[in-house]
This record gives sequence, structure tokens and C-alpha cells, in this order.
Amino acid sequence: MSTFVEKLRQYRKPGYYDKFDYHWTMTIDLDRCTGCEACMVACQAENNLPIVGEKRFAENREIKWIRIERYWEGEYPDVKMRFIPMLCQHCDDAPCETACPVFATYHNQDGLNTQIYNRCIGTRTCAVYCPYEVRYFNWFTYTWDEPLEQQLNPDVTVREKGVMEKCTFCIQRIRIAKDNAKDDDRRRVRDGEVVPACVQSCPTEALVFGNSNDPEAKVSKMMKNPRGYKVLEELNTTPSIVYLTKVHS
Amino acid sequence: MSKISRRDLLQYIGAGGIGVVGGVLYGESVQQNVELLIPQVVPPEDYSPGVATWYNTVCNQCPAGCGISVRIREGKAKKIEGNPVHPVSQGRTCARGQAGLNALYNPDRIRTPLQNVGQRGSGNFEEISWDEALTTVGSRIGRLKIDNEASRVRLLCGRVRGHLDELFLQFMNLLGSDHYQQYDFTYPSALMAANKMSFGTDVLPYYDIRNAVFLLSFGADYLGTWISPVHHSLAYGHLRQGREGRRGKTIQIEPRMSLSGAAADEWIAARPGTEGLLALGIAHALVSEGHYHGSDRDEWSKALQAYSPSLVSAETEVSEDKILRLAREFGTSTASLAIAGGATAAGTNAVASIVAVNALNYLAGNLSQPGGIIFNPDPAFSATAGSRQAGFQGMLDLIGAMKAGDVDVLLVHDTNPVFALPDNVGFRQAMQNVPLIIALSSFRDETTEMADLILPTSTYLESWGDDVPDPGVGFPVASISQPVVATLYDTLPVGDIVLSLARQIGGELPIHMRWGTMEEFIKERWREEYDQRGSEGEEQEFEAFWQAALEAGVWGQPGAVAGDQPVPLSSSMIASIADPVSRFAGDESDYPFVLHPYLTATFFDGRGANLPWLQEMPDPMTSVVYGSWVELNPVTADELGIREGDVLDVESPAGSVRVPALIFPAIRPGVVAIPVGQGHAAYGRYARDRGVNPIHIVATLIDDQSGDLAWAATRVKLKLTGERLQIIKTDGVTRTLGRQILGPENDHA
Repeated sequence: MSTFVEKLRQYRKPGYYDKFDYHWTMTIDLDRCTGCEACMVACQAENNLPIVGEKRFAENREIKWIRIERYWEGEYPDVKMRFIPMLCQHCDDAPCETACPVFATYHNQDGLNTQIYNRCIGTRTCAVYCPYEVRYFNWFTYTWDEPLEQQLNPDVTVREKGVMEKCTFCIQRIRIAKDNAKDDDRRRVRDGEVVPACVQSCPTEALVFGNSNDPEAKVSKMMKNPRGYKVLEELNTTPSIVYLTKVHS
Repeated sequence: MSKISRRDLLQYIGAGGIGVVGGVLYGESVQQNVELLIPQVVPPEDYSPGVATWYNTVCNQCPAGCGISVRIREGKAKKIEGNPVHPVSQGRTCARGQAGLNALYNPDRIRTPLQNVGQRGSGNFEEISWDEALTTVGSRIGRLKIDNEASRVRLLCGRVRGHLDELFLQFMNLLGSDHYQQYDFTYPSALMAANKMSFGTDVLPYYDIRNAVFLLSFGADYLGTWISPVHHSLAYGHLRQGREGRRGKTIQIEPRMSLSGAAADEWIAARPGTEGLLALGIAHALVSEGHYHGSDRDEWSKALQAYSPSLVSAETEVSEDKILRLAREFGTSTASLAIAGGATAAGTNAVASIVAVNALNYLAGNLSQPGGIIFNPDPAFSATAGSRQAGFQGMLDLIGAMKAGDVDVLLVHDTNPVFALPDNVGFRQAMQNVPLIIALSSFRDETTEMADLILPTSTYLESWGDDVPDPGVGFPVASISQPVVATLYDTLPVGDIVLSLARQIGGELPIHMRWGTMEEFIKERWREEYDQRGSEGEEQEFEAFWQAALEAGVWGQPGAVAGDQPVPLSSSMIASIADPVSRFAGDESDYPFVLHPYLTATFFDGRGANLPWLQEMPDPMTSVVYGSWVELNPVTADELGIREGDVLDVESPAGSVRVPALIFPAIRPGVVAIPVGQGHAAYGRYARDRGVNPIHIVATLIDDQSGDLAWAATRVKLKLTGERLQIIKTDGVTRTLGRQILGPENDHA
């Protein structure tokens, strides 16, 4: 156990991930985001998210790895609606990871917060610990009305009852890109080679994804924007998602 | 792509997908071999297990004409993404476009030809064979043709462009009937009519939002539903953050905040129906404050005399200061653009309002300028498809003809007038007088349910076709639609059905329409286009061109700029200015609220309601799923003692609907809004018996100049029923409560 604690400490050291090839990071420009929700449906298509039905929706059993949160500001007539896409922040110091009794959720060396479905025993502790509320539990085994199941993405597991799930930064796309890089005798994947489904669909190009260990990557440049901030930063979760705040004129 | 030599004139926009038509070949072979243990000793062409193939085609979820790429694995469609080389979508898609897969694999698709065996509209259908179905239709129409009664055959379809439109036209012409019409609730008839008055040409120009610096939108939800939302969203992203150190500004004028209103820097809820007047007030201030420098300045100030900001302010209930400020910003920004749509283009003053907005563009001098209104060159082909739009008047004529017994055979394809027309025009009742109704449809929507015979069409992901996006993108573009998977059921692409009918009817039809399939027809037409355009320069075989076009999914001529740009005459623009104030159906004392129906980013005009991903996608502004609601200002609700979930009777002079209330902070008091899209009586398990359809209670007032339905000019009254209903929504706390979720210095909760 002591070696594990040592590992965990080392793992918490700032800058730890720079030793590795990748630190996958996303920036979300709220000045571009219009709240159109194309990302939500793109994620649903890519990651085999279930269609839960009206009854389950009413019981708050919906599963959306990325969602648009809405916040009103002011009162009529000077009322404003603000949107913010919310998804797993892939925190470097993720509260969910320390909570899991069976290590079903852990940090991989790419800086991703990952979930091992067949290790998960469904205690739901991680969801309680997550301050962003982006972990979703499968209360039921969902099915698809035939032939909708023909659309299911063969690269992504279909989850069952009793398993926690969440955004993976489309890890299947990362794997494919790394494989392709290996086949081409490249050490790293190129900037822009990995595009998660939400980033791919975004009609205003508000979402940017890439490897922040690469100073030349577009995402690294976006992160330097003075408008950048991290949500609930004061909790010291060290999120991997940088939001760029909306500009007020 | 680089391997293909090309002429100077014929160029692609870039590299496209990988596969071409192998998906079809593969799908056919696997259907027979599926039981075998080692089914793929000799694998079908273009197939390797575990390797994805992408095919480019055209989205059909709204009329924008975005190019899409579909990911195919083992012969099944897995994912829709934007076609990166298509100039409209540029690699992006909206939620509706993504959900196209739900249409392809929808459990409620019509799988075989069906014949009605019960009472009409009862939904009592029996399966029949294609032979039987085509013979029935062919002999009936053929008989009418022989009797010289072919004009009693009518064809009504949705917004169809490209060569399918030509095929329909040819079919009806050869038959001897000039009753081929299209009906699309979202067709911008008023905008076309207004552009005809202002610019002398009834086309949709390209609104260059991308390069604008100051965008003034009168009711047009350009980010959600107006004309080409994906393209506009790309442009919006660039307007905001695409230019170093120069952030464009947007203003939205509408009574109920839409997606575009939420994105805007300023949302102005003018009194409903006076938006055009506000435009004239701004124009007045613009001229009188000296921001317009044309030689005809005096004429303009004379024409706008009656619209001084103080008078306009009283009518519109927008402060004079604000009008003056908008005029100053609009007049002094380097690239100002004004657009009009939504409710502004759906009053009895629709054309007059848009003409006023057009005048603003003229005064800002943005015509044919970057960041302004750019007139497209002639489309690559299919220039006249828009002239087939029936509009509201055309539909009334059709109803009249049906009632008078002038219609023997009604062919309906891809349009749902029973849903998308007010109840009291009686389309459904008039259909009872038509002896034979044939629906060419993939789904059993309300109109298809009324058919005697259903010829099931393949979805757009299984069909050949082509498209010319309208409006264009400033240069000629044409897209190819190709099947990305093998046809799932015993269905046919609509083009193939028309060709089969032509063969069945006989006479000169099959002689002129000699193509065996839609694919053959499209290819021949593209060959003709190719021969016409590329008579000089480097030789390139058509086959190579065709293969490359299929791979790219699109052909375009980016170098070709618009030819003759219309130069609007100031005098005619001035002459066309009319007093734009809308009338409303219903007396204010009896019906105190203005009904604001709006198209939704989720279901558009209702055609998306049968797709489960869209039903489960929270409405962007309210986060509601699965159902309808009526939006009320919090103060109004308070006064009436209405809480969220109280079921109300919303009653107009034309009818009433029963719908739960939702308190919505961004709607003008005195206005109630109901989203369009739900309220289907048919259309499959996901859509049926869910919510209400506000179009059904719209009074049949029309726009004074275009004759189009003024669907935003109805007044209603509200009655508490005492019932309550849970509105299912995903929002929890809708204020940030100081948590700085939107940024450290950006928390104004």
C-alpha cells in the first residue's frame, strides 16, 4: 500500500504529466458558444449514449456526457442568457479518483480521467465527489428500438446497469490516431489529428482540443488567452479544460 | 484528389472522402451471406472489417443543403459529420443533421408499399407488392392521361431542388398537368417578395455575417433556424473571435429571446409587429444624423419624414435614445448588416418590414460589399425550383380545387400540410374529396396517414440526388447526394419511383424519361453540365471528374464571382417603403396576449419530432424535453397566479390548445410563445401524441403584399384549467449564485 501512496503523491506533483508525450486539453470559448447543442447530439452518436425515454428523463436518469448549462442574468428587459458546455474536466487532481474503492476510475498517463467499466461496482461515490456533476450512473440496462442499434459505434462499449460512465475525451479516437502515428513511424500524433466528436461538430468552432504539452499546438495558444479560467478552480481540482470567458461590450 | 487532372474551369474545393459507391455493393452481398460462419472469404469491394469508410452526401434535415460525411463501418452508418470541403457546412453539423441517422434506422419507417383498407385516415393499412402498387397508380393516371384529364393529377412536394425538381417537372409536363407545386412552411416567401421590391430580383442573397462588424437582426434566428444555421454559426464564430482585436457586435430585436437573441450583445423586445417600424426609425435617425452621404439624401429624408425616432419610439416602445444609438452604430460601423426573419417576416406587414430592413442595408452602403449583402451568381443549375413554391395562397387554391372535386389524383411527397397549415383552412377535410391520394413517403406523418396508397421512399442516406444550396455562398456550388448504405427495406428512392411510374403509364413518358434509375439520370445531367462548362483547357475525362465529384460530394467554382450585381434604384427603394405595422387577429380586450409561435432548433418545423435523439435533446433556451409548453413572462404569470406546470387553455379566434405553462424570463409581457414541432397526431412512436401544435390555432391572416400566412399575427387568451403537468427539463438552478462558473469577473448574478 505504501508504494501506492508514494505513486499517488508523485502523481499529484504539478508538472508530472509533462514527462509524458501528451496532456490532452480542451479550451471552450464562451464568446463563440451559442448553446446550439450540436455537441450533445454528436456525443450521443459517437459514444452510444442511451435513449432513456420520457419516464426516465422525468426521474433525472438521463445520460449526457456533455451538456449545456444555462444561467440567467438580470431581469426583464435587461435579461441575459449565458451558456456553458459542461463535461468531465479531466482534473489532474480529480476528487473522483481518490473516492473509488476499486480503482475503476484512474488517471492515465495522457492526463485523461478514465473509467474502467468492468471494474466498476456501482458505489456511485465518484459521482458524489465530482463537483462538476458530470458522472452518470446506469440505473438500468437500456435497449434500442430495432433497428436503431445498427447505428451503435463498434469502437465504444455499450454499458450496462450498475456502471458509472462519463466523458472520455473520445479515447477511441485518441487510440486510432496513436495507432496511425505508429504505423507512419511518427512518435507523436499531429496537432488536430485527434478531434473528439463534440469538438468536431461545433458549428462556431468554440471548442479546441489538443495536446497542451506541445507549445505549438492550437490548444496551447488558446490556453494563454487572458480570458482563460477554470471552473471551480478554488477547489484545486486542476481541470484540463480551460474556458475563455464571454466578452461584454 | 491531386491525382486527377482538371481544367481551369472545373475545380473542386478540396480533398473529399475516400469511398464512392462500394457501400451499396457491399450491403447487397452481405445480406445474402449473413448466416455463413466465414462469410467474407472473398470480401466485398471496399470493405475491411474494423476500418471505417466515409461517404459524402447532402443533409436533408432542413433546406440549408449542408454537405455531410457519413462514417460507415461494416456496411452500417455510424456517424454523420460535416463535409470539410463543402462550402456551406465546412465540416460542421447541427444537432438535427447528426440525428439524420435516427431517420435512417428509425423503427417506424415504412418498409413496404401499403394500401389503405379501412376508412381514410384510420391508419388501417395492408402490405401490397410494388408491382401491384405501381400498376394501380400507373393505370389510374394513365387513364386520366388518355382521357385528356391529366390536369386532374396534382403533385405536391416539400422543398425539392436539383434534378429531382426537374424530374418532377418533366413528369408532370409529359403527363399534361401543370399542377406541380411545393409547400414548405419555412420557405421565406416574404423575404423573396421584399427582395423583389427592393432589389428587383426575388432571390436569396448571401448575407455575409462572417465579415460584418455590426449585425442587426430583426427577428431572424440565424443561429438556430433561419435559412442556413450551420453556415451562419461558422460566420458568427468568426464575427466574434476570428479577427484579431476586432470583435463584431450583434443586436437582436424580437419579442421572445431566441438562440440568436441569447448570443446577442443586446436583446430588444419591441412591441410585436412594429419591428419594421423600428427599422424605419433607425433609418430616419441614420439619415438625419448625417451618417448617409448619398446624393439622394434629401429624397430619403423626405421619404422617412414620418418615422422620426420620437414617434417610432412611442409605437415600438423602444426608447428614443436606443434608436439614436443603434442608428449611430449602424451608420458608423465599417461593415453593418441588417437581416429580417422569424416573426418579423410573419406579420400582416411582413414584406413592408423586410423592405424597411433592406432600406437600412442600402443606407449603410453594404450592398455587394464584404460584410453586407452579396448577390449570388446564377446557380449551377435548378434555378427555378423556388418558383414552384405554392405559398399559402397556392395551398388555399389547392384546397379549393380539392373541395370542388377538381383533383382526381393527389401525389404527396416530403411535405406535411395537414400538420403545417392552420386547422381551419381545412386541408384534411378537403382531402376527403380526392378519389386517390398517393403518398411517397418514408414515414407515416399526418398527411401520409390520409393516403390510399403509400409508396415507401428510401431516406436521403439511401438515395441518389443532387442539390444546389439556396442561397449560394457567393459562387456556383452543386452537391451530389449518394447512397451511403444499402437500402434497408423494400423501398425505392423517390426519383426511381417517378421513373417507374413513367414506364408504367407509358406513352411518350418512358421515351423522354428513358433513364433506368435516378443514378443514371443524375449522371447524365452532370455530364451535360460538364460538357457545357468545360469546353476549353486541359482535357479531363468525364468519368474521372464524376468519380472525383462523388468523392468530394460537391463541385464548386470559387473563382467565379457574381456576374451582374443588381443595382437597386434608390427611387424604387424609396417608393416601396410602406407603413409597416402588423394587424392582429382577435380583439385586444378579448384576447389580451400576442401568440408567438417559433421554429425550434430541435424539431425545426416539426419534421425532426420523430427522431429520438432530438426528443431527448433539451430545448436550447428552456432545457425542456419531450413535450410542449407555453412561455410567459414572470410578471405576467405572477399577475395571473400561474405557476410552472399549470395547464392552460390557450385560445385564439381560430381554436385552442391545452398546454402547461413555463415561466420564461426573456419574453415580453403581453406575449406568449409556443414552440412549433410537437403535437403530432401520427409520425411514429417518438412523435405521436406529444405536446401541441401552435400552427393549428393560428388565424388565417395573410401578409398584405405577398399573400403568405401571417403566422405571428394571432392574439390569444389564457384560461387556467386547474390541471397540473410536470414539465420535464434538465435545468436545476438557473442562476450562478456567485459561483463564478462563467468566469472570475463575469458573474453578474
